[in-house]
Order: sequence, then C-alpha cells, then structure tokens
Amino acid sequence: MKRIWSWGAIVFGGLYFLLPLIGTVEFSLRMRRGEYSLDAYRSVLADPQFRATFSYSVVMALLTIVLGVLIVVPTAYWVRLRLPRLRPVIEFITLLPLVIPAIVVVFGYIRLYNTSSILPLTGTASGTNLLLLCGYATLALPYMYRAVDTGLSTLDVRSLTEAAQSLGAGWTRIIGSLILPNVLGAVMSGAFLSFAIVIGEFTMAALLNRPAFGPYMQLLGANRAYEPAALAVIAFAATWGCMGVMQLISRLAGVRKTAK
Amino acid sequence: MSFLNLDHLQKSFGSTKVVHDFNLNVEKGEFVSFLGPSGCGKTTVLRMVAGFEEPSVGRILIDGQDVTRLRPNQRQIGMVFQAYALFPNLTVADNVGFGLKVAGVPRAERAGRVTEMLELIGLPEMGARFPWQLSGGQQQRVALARALAPRPRVLLLDEPLSALDAKIRVSLRNQIREIQQQLGITTIFVTHDQEEALSISDRIVVMHKGIADQTGTPRQIYNQPATDFVAGFVGTLNRFDAEVLDAPTGRLRVAGTEFALGRAVPSAVSLAARPEGLSLADDGIPAEVTGVEFLGSVQRLRMRVAGREIVLDRFNAPSAALPEPGEAVHISTQGSSWLVLPHGA
Amino acid sequence: MMSRFGWNWLGIVPFLAFAGLFLVLPTMNIVIGAFQNPEGHFTLANLAGLASPRIVDSFAISIKVSLASALLGCLIGFAMAAAVVMGGVPDWIKAPLMTFSGVASNFAGVPLAFAFIATLGRVGLVTMLLKQWFGINIYAMGFNLLSFWGLTLTYLFFQIPLMILIITPALEGLKREWREAAEVLGASSGQYWRMVALPILFPSLLGTFALLFANSFGAVATAYALTGSSLSIVPIMLFAQIRGDVLQDPHLGYAMAFGMIVVTGLANLAYVIMRSRAERWMR
Repeated sequence: MKRIWSWGAIVFGGLYFLLPLIGTVEFSLRMRRGEYSLDAYRSVLADPQFRATFSYSVVMALLTIVLGVLIVVPTAYWVRLRLPRLRPVIEFITLLPLVIPAIVVVFGYIRLYNTSSILPLTGTASGTNLLLLCGYATLALPYMYRAVDTGLSTLDVRSLTEAAQSLGAGWTRIIGSLILPNVLGAVMSGAFLSFAIVIGEFTMAALLNRPAFGPYMQLLGANRAYEPAALAVIAFAATWGCMGVMQLISRLAGVRKTAK
Repeated sequence: MSFLNLDHLQKSFGSTKVVHDFNLNVEKGEFVSFLGPSGCGKTTVLRMVAGFEEPSVGRILIDGQDVTRLRPNQRQIGMVFQAYALFPNLTVADNVGFGLKVAGVPRAERAGRVTEMLELIGLPEMGARFPWQLSGGQQQRVALARALAPRPRVLLLDEPLSALDAKIRVSLRNQIREIQQQLGITTIFVTHDQEEALSISDRIVVMHKGIADQTGTPRQIYNQPATDFVAGFVGTLNRFDAEVLDAPTGRLRVAGTEFALGRAVPSAVSLAARPEGLSLADDGIPAEVTGVEFLGSVQRLRMRVAGREIVLDRFNAPSAALPEPGEAVHISTQGSSWLVLPHGA
Repeated sequence: MMSRFGWNWLGIVPFLAFAGLFLVLPTMNIVIGAFQNPEGHFTLANLAGLASPRIVDSFAISIKVSLASALLGCLIGFAMAAAVVMGGVPDWIKAPLMTFSGVASNFAGVPLAFAFIATLGRVGLVTMLLKQWFGINIYAMGFNLLSFWGLTLTYLFFQIPLMILIITPALEGLKREWREAAEVLGASSGQYWRMVALPILFPSLLGTFALLFANSFGAVATAYALTGSSLSIVPIMLFAQIRGDVLQDPHLGYAMAFGMIVVTGLANLAYVIMRSRAERWMR
C-alpha cells in the first residue's frame, strides 16, 4: 500500500520532470519540415551574438566566483575565529538576497549609481560591468557563504591558525595557503552553483543593459521559434555539467576526508 | 503453559540466517536477559517479539495468544530503546501519556496515570520539561515510564543502559529491577554486558551465532557453563592444557602435576578455572608470577603455567605479603572450582 | 582589550562594505524613494498610488501564483522525498533524484520558459500528443501557458526540486526509533505522522515554504520569457516600469518595489514567528 503511493509519487514527479525535457529536445529538432535535424543548433552556434554573449557571461561568472571567494572566505574564517557572536548577524545578511528580489536590488543600483550620483558607475560600460559583477556576487552570496561556512565547520579553525601563527605565518599566508586549500571542496561547490546562477541570469543584465547570455536568450525567444528550444537544451546541459562537476568534487573531497 | 512462548523461531535476512531455531518459555513476571556479543541475534529475537521483524519460521505466543502476524501496535508490548527515543517535540508528561492518548484514554485518567508513572520513576517534578532538558539517565527513566504507562503485557528492554555512563548504569539497572519486581511485569532484557545480565536477571539466555547456547539462572551460567563459549564470554576464564589419565575417577595431569577431580570426566577435556576459584598453595601446579596488580579489595596476580597466561584473584588482606614478579609459586589443585568443558565445544 | 576589539571588527569591514554598498544601501534607497515625492519630500502618495486596480491585481496574481507554486511544490516535493526516504522505493533512485533536483532547482529563468513553451505551448510536444492520441485539445479547453496555471506549472519545475533538496535531509533526520516507539505504544501510522513526525518536521516545512514563496514571488526571467509583458505579475510590471516608466510616475515604481519587499518580508516574518512557536521543544 505504502509502496504503491511511493511509486505513484515518483512516477508522477518523474513524468512532470521528464516531459518538458523530452519536449524541448524534440522541439529543438523540428526546424526542418518533415524530419528531425540539428538545424536549430547549427543556427544558434553560428550566430556571432550567441558566442559574444555566452563568452561575456562565462567571463562574468568566473569573475563572480573570484569576487565571491575573496569576500566570503576571509569573512567566514574571521567570524569563526574572532567574532563568533556576530555569526547570526553575518548569516542573516548573507541570506537577505533570498528574501529581497533581485529586481529590487538592481532597481536600487540604477537609482543609487546613476550618472548624477556620487558614484556614477552606470555612466561607463566598465562601470556598469563592475556593478553587474557586484550584483552577481550578491546573488551568489547565500550559496557561497553557506558552502564555505559548512566547509569551515569541519576544520578546527582556531588550532590551525594558532599552529600556523606559532610557525610565523602571516594572515595572507594563513588564509591563502592554509584555510583556502582546506575548504577548497566547499568553495568549489559554491563556485559551480554561482556559475549556474550567473550564466543564464536575466533580470540584472537586462536592466543594466549588458550584452549577457540571459537577455540574448530572451531576445531570441521573442523572435524565433526553434532556436530557443535548442538554447534551452544547451543551457540545461551546461547547468547539468556544473552540478555534475560539483557533485564529483564534493564526492572526491569526501573520499579524501574519509581516507584520512 | 508459560506466559511468553517463543516457539522454534528462525530469521533469515536474504541468505544469511541470523537466528537458528530459538526456543524459550518465559514465566509471568520473570526477568530474562539475552546476553551475547553483537551480531549474535539477540536483538533480532527481541525485535521479532516486538513485531518489527517477522520470523521466517516459528511462532510467538503471549498469554496463549498467537501474535506472530500481529503488527507492533496490536501486541500491547512496552519497549525501551538504547538511544532513549523520546519524542523530542513532546513534554515528558506527553511522552509518558502517548500510549494512553493513542488508545483513546480520557484526559483526566491519562493525567492520573502519568503522575503515577512519573512518581514510580522518581521524576514527579519533570512532567513539563522537554526531553533535551533531561540527562541521559533521566531520559531513559522517562522512556521506561512511557513504555509502562499503557500497562503492557511484556516489557522489552533493548540495551537500555549502553548509552549511559558507568555510575548511572548501575543505579538505573537496580531501579529497573525494582520497578519490574514491584509491577511483576514479564521482561526481556537484551545486553552485551555480562555483569548487567548476571546482576539483574532471573534467567539468562546466552546467545552465540544465532543459537541459544545456554539458558539458566545467573549462578548456573557462571558456575556451570554448558559450552566453551559461555564459559569464555561470561566472566574471565583461565584455561589449562590437561591430559586425562583416568576418565572415571577424573585423574588428570596439568603442567606435570597429577591430581584427581573426584568425578568422572570425558576422555578429552579442556580444563578451566575462574580467577577467584584459584588459590596459592604450598604444592600443586607450578607457576611463575609475571605481574601483580593491587586493586584495593582484590589482589590480581598474573602468572604463567606451562606457557599459558592465567590470572588469579584473591581478597586483599593487610597482613598477606604480595608475591614478587619472577617468584615461583604453586596453584592449589583442591576444590570444586575446576570447570571441565567438553573438548572443542 | 579595547584596541583588540577594534582590530577584530576590521576583519569583516570588506564584507560589510560590500553588503552595504550592493545590498543594503540600494534596498534602503528604494524604500526611502517609496516615501518621497519627486522633490524629495516625505509623502505617502506613492503608497496610496499602489491602490490602483492594475497594481492591486498584479499583487493579487503574484501572491496567488507564489502561494500555489510554493504549496504544490512543498506537497509534491515532500511526497517524492518521503517516497525515496521511507516509502520502500529502491535505494538506487535516490542518488539520481538528488542530482537531478540539484540541477533542476537551478534551471530557472529564460531556458525554463523555452522548455515549457516547447512542451505545453500551442505546438508543444505534450499539447500535440494529447491532441493526436486522445483528441484532447487543452487550448480549446481553456488552458493557456500564459496564465495563472501555466505559470504555476512552470514554476513548479524549480520549486519541487528545491523542496526535495531541503526536506530530504530533514526526513532522514527522523529516527527509526521514534517510529518504532510510537508503533509499539499502539499508534497507527497516521497517529505517528500527526503527533510526532510532522510536528518535528514543521519548522523545516515552514522555512522551505517561505523560501519557495519568495523564490517565485521575485522571479522575473521565466515569466518574462514566457509571457512577454502580457501577464501582469508584480515583477513584470516593475520590470517594464524600470525600463520604460509605463506607470508615468517613477516614484510609483519605488512603491511597487517596496511592496515586493514587504510581501517577501512578511512571508519570512511569519516564518520566523511560527518557527519560534513550533520550536519551543528545541534548544
């Protein structure tokens, strides 16, 4: 009886998840009349706009990861080491992006950093890129912080630090060559999550008018029929790749830990 | 007809047979312990009685009623788990009253019974607390009260003391026994700790590889172990290589010393003795002292007899001098404390 | 001691500066803007402007979609997680389901909209198959992907996996002994769930619900790619307003954004309050 219900839930859910994927793949192959073909993919990949926007977003995603690591790792480490009482406050701040919609945050950027403000970031292309980068780092903050903090919780941060200090290591050295390598698995999982979020992000990029992959996909969707499905397949495969690599890394890190 | 009958129980998980042909009759009000190393099948038997596992073969009867196919919630059994398993979201009183509540007992009656139970376990003030506010020992007492509140026919205790520290373990075990005798409830107690089993039980079932090796009173189990395994698992045992010279009179030779037990023995035996059953003598089996431990009330002498390490315990006496390591001594051949175990059993 | 304390603070200054500049200040700015007129004076006129039927409707449909997708996401996700953790489904299903959930919970935005157009759009696979095999024309029956149900159905694609990801560890945290203790005390399966398991899970369920709600309430990309501006949910209206001032009053945009913060804030406040009630038994 219980088993019937369970199978029911799994099959129902499985169908719900699989049908859109099958539907998308099927649709993406329908471009040529009367037969399946890869024309839609060919058309997408041949589009210089695709390559430009995709590489723009990849670069932005990588920079987001770097910025995220630079902000999150020292902070999470420092809070655990010296300011444990502030941890709930920091955690609360890092969770804010899950509560405040991204569209509100970017709206604030536009108002706060417009050309007539003290910090006219939106006045130049590079300024806007920087703003978008910071926006992405904000979006990734909850995931990055949680991942790193969980990673740190498995270390005895205090003893590690004191041991390093007694050997004469400075702060940059402690964080760079002691803490970071030890939470690398956690950082990586946060990084891939960030990558998956940034690569197809639409709202911020569109409102800041940056030539990113998300707005490009939306534009293509409004004007073409089959290419969007091909894009969706590519995007899904990219997300899947990120998650796959992430799981692989966390599993390898897990193996290394148990092997110790 | 006894109160609880376990009739030819067998249990296999896949192709591994964890319980072979287990038989036991428990009298009403009796306290029976299942003693054995982990993986011996004792917990599996207990879980079959509770109804969490279904026997592959065999029957379980409680008070004449066949419960083999009944679900756990139909058996009217009380159970205490190793890890307390109190419901963390309910107060102590609600935990104790849980069984009555699901049985539809009216609130007022329930409250009375809960108070009664909390007094029984000596925690009358704790009703409003949550489990996390209690110590391990207190939690386990509440778990006991919860199991007893619906007046079960049988009480099952699954290693209830293992998660506690040594001191509480002893006091709680005495309390469990007191309450059990006060209520006269038929109880099965699973443990891997021989001291626990010996001190608390009316009868002990020593289990080994899915088989009940021996069933008997604590004194029988300790003094007349039926098998080599029982002898070795319960208490410390010194083994001697013995050569049978004359089986009917029990004439043996150990380490070059000949002596008679005065009773018949099989043609090949293994001879053993408890540490407290041995004593030093002017002549007897020659031994060399290898170490001396002073444990307060007991002096523990380690020695070597014909290449085997043995241990001898004797009461401390302020006047008695301790032997020195390296000293040559003799072990008395007298006494009924020699255990004769069938060879290879 | 004092100087030491000051030193310690310095360690998180970069973080605080970042969060202040790119999270807190921009949000505060919008909140303040909602209470200012174009001359920068205090006013409640912007908030009063939210009472226009168009904006009220947009909030209503947004909240409806978010509630529906959060509720259904919780229910279905819970059922699937429970099936895998304790439902007697073979063990090998769990790992792929969790991996898939990790992917699908992040598969939001524009591509998700494309996937659903390709599946349930007017010429989508499922639409066509239903028509060809069973003669069912869902569009003739009133279904429209660009509607409340269409949007809810689409959002569920990331809501259900998110629920599965969060609730599976919680379900695995239910000790086997609790169930057994309840059973041996005479409780039925239903009584165990009502009196023990659900109260223990309640805080996690509530938290996930609040998260799912905020998740779909703030989502722009999926809805925008799915419907263009034809479905007036709040984030779409705000998006259009930021781009082109469709409300003919920039400060009404701040008021809408403020309204969004209030709604997600209230959802989370409700969560915090109910959680602290439900967790009386926790340390």
